[in-house]
Amino acid sequence: MGEVIVITSGKGGVGKTTTTANLGTGFALLGKKVVLVDADIGLRNLDVVMGLENRIVYDLVDVTEGNCRLKQALIRDKRYESLYLLPAAQTRDKNAVNPDQMKVLCSDLAEEFDYVIIDCPAGIEQGFKNAIAGADRAIIVTTPEVSAVRDADRIIGLLESEGKHDPKLVVNRIRPHMVKKGDMMNIDDIIEILAIDLLGIIPEDEYIVISTNRGEPAVVSPVALASIAYKNIVRRLLGENVPLMTIESNEGFFYKLKKVFGF
Amino acid sequence: MQEDVIFKGSKTGLQLLLSETADFGNIIQQLKEKLESATNFFSKGCIVKVPIANRVLTTEQQQQLTSLFADYGLKWKEVQDPSVSDEQPAAEPTPKPMIITKTLRGGQEIMYSGAVIIMGDVNPGAKVTAGGDIVISGACRGVAHAGAYGDEKATITAKRLIASQLRIADVIARSPDNLDDFIQPDYTETACIKDGAVVIEPAKQQYTFN
Ligand SMILES: Nc1ncnc2c1ncn2[C@@H]1O[C@H](COP(=O)(O)OP(=O)(O)OP(=O)(O)O)[C@@H](O)[C@H]1O
Ligand SMILES: [Mg+2]
Repeated sequence: MGEVIVITSGKGGVGKTTTTANLGTGFALLGKKVVLVDADIGLRNLDVVMGLENRIVYDLVDVTEGNCRLKQALIRDKRYESLYLLPAAQTRDKNAVNPDQMKVLCSDLAEEFDYVIIDCPAGIEQGFKNAIAGADRAIIVTTPEVSAVRDADRIIGLLESEGKHDPKLVVNRIRPHMVKKGDMMNIDDIIEILAIDLLGIIPEDEYIVISTNRGEPAVVSPVALASIAYKNIVRRLLGENVPLMTIESNEGFFYKLKKVFGF
Repeated sequence: MQEDVIFKGSKTGLQLLLSETADFGNIIQQLKEKLESATNFFSKGCIVKVPIANRVLTTEQQQQLTSLFADYGLKWKEVQDPSVSDEQPAAEPTPKPMIITKTLRGGQEIMYSGAVIIMGDVNPGAKVTAGGDIVISGACRGVAHAGAYGDEKATITAKRLIASQLRIADVIARSPDNLDDFIQPDYTETACIKDGAVVIEPAKQQYTFN
């Protein structure tokens, strides 16, 4: 049985889809069998980020409504044999699926794949409830902004009340020079409030934008900073002990980040 | 969204105020959401008072209320206009403190008729309403309302008292707007009412948490 991981945030636009695409591709780079599930029904993006938009015939709602078999709706990635996408329906809305159907879908997928990674829509309504229903664990994405951290906190509470404990945190779009000047929340402040384990930090990197437009996740690049950061997260999820770029005792986070990223 | 359903701690206990005009279906829906967001946090067996002056309920509507409340282990009863209630709060026995062993996250809410002890933080956007004292082992960053039924002697104690709003009985204090200018002390603090205002001082009683 594979593992079902949901990527969620509460606030929109913080990098859930980017993280789903990069972690999924990162697992595939290491030969894992992965399926990405776009649970953002009505506002699908993951297919575009993966560059697979033109191959969609059936979607998630077709599967849950029985219009096609699960296998028919899965799209194989262009680059990696072991990577698949289950696209969202674009012409329907979140209420076209319910949490029970998602649970069945996730467990069916987990039979076939090592990792099932679910891209959750923003918000706390039906779409969120659907996306988390079948997940074994959750990764919360936030940016170093007060509003995003507030929403992340709310999401952690909602996950808890659904019996999903111990989510892990990814802080995206860190701009070291801004944190250094005190213009941005630092990692310590975020962890203090959210009190969950930090899985990784993704720097602000224009390569993300470039790669998104190209339909090829950044993690494919051997050099981009964000790529290295995502690869580290993948290794941590596989149980490897990759040092976190956080603060220890006197050594500041920036210092560490500088050392690792070579700023 | 307009709030058609409001829970209110008053001198005579927990009250439920219903909009006089809203559709009853909406009321039940909103009530459900409120109860859901605060699951486990209303003390079991707690009796919610619904002032009838507010809205006259049909038998069927009363049954709906009863069964919804029952799902959450609550009861309700009709009361007359709350302001002229003759019930004495002192006549009711003080309930045991409620102990919560986790951090309250944004959007989570606790309402309890007695004292509340939280072994964790109260994060921004979370709210604790207690008939008695509130004690928080970690940081209080949300809203805390002690003595919600009018007890002006109630206190709020937290290891780090940086609440966005503190309420004791009917007195409200909010955090200063320029919080950055304040140095947060590293000792436990207590908020209480003095001369009609909420003041914060070093905690007298040292609560120990394991
Ligand atoms: N580390 C980063 N550096 C630079 N740009 C980024 C980074 N992460 C995300 N972005 C950009 O931010 C935008 C939003 O990202 P993304 O679509 O992944 O967010 P989302 O959380 O999935 O949004 P939504 O809530 O709308 O689904 C995209 O344009 C993406 O390219
Ligand atoms: Mg998205």
